[in-house]
Amino acid sequence: MKKILAAALVLSAIPAATLLSSAIQQEKVAKVSLKVGDTAPDFTLLSDQWKPVKLSDYKGKKNVLLAVYVLAFTGG
Amino acid sequence: MDSPAANAAFAKQINIKFPLLSDMNKKMLTAYGILKGHDVQGDTYEWAQRANIVIDKNGVVQHIEEGDSAVNPNNALSVCTDLHKKQSAK
Repeated sequence: MKKILAAALVLSAIPAATLLSSAIQQEKVAKVSLKVGDTAPDFTLLSDQWKPVKLSDYKGKKNVLLAVYVLAFTGG
Repeated sequence: MDSPAANAAFAKQINIKFPLLSDMNKKMLTAYGILKGHDVQGDTYEWAQRANIVIDKNGVVQHIEEGDSAVNPNNALSVCTDLHKKQSAK
């Protein structure tokens, strides 16, 4: 029984280690991968009114300014 | 990432008239390459960098600022104003 448990632990440790290393790699290449001239990937996100807002809803109608603001509602 | 409820409270507090969006599962942030890994006491956490991105009416990216330069939105705003002027002139 102990052996089975040990094998299961190792298996679960592998994905965790893989995740960690990919995160560290991302830190090294921390750059917005999007470039000027690229088509902006579409997205649907919930607004503060709990309504879905889709980027493509603005296509042909409005220019969009996306401001990514980290931890907006915190004191820090 | 702030939840819609936290955003609603924030929007009310500072009287915001545009939608505040939540990317709770980081889908958009991942697609745009904005997530960054941070080491905190031996653990790695991912959160977004500050960024201002202007997308024109055709869905094409016209302006990108990231990190400290993205704290001030005035550059991105003037890109928007210029775009609008160009489009109105056509």
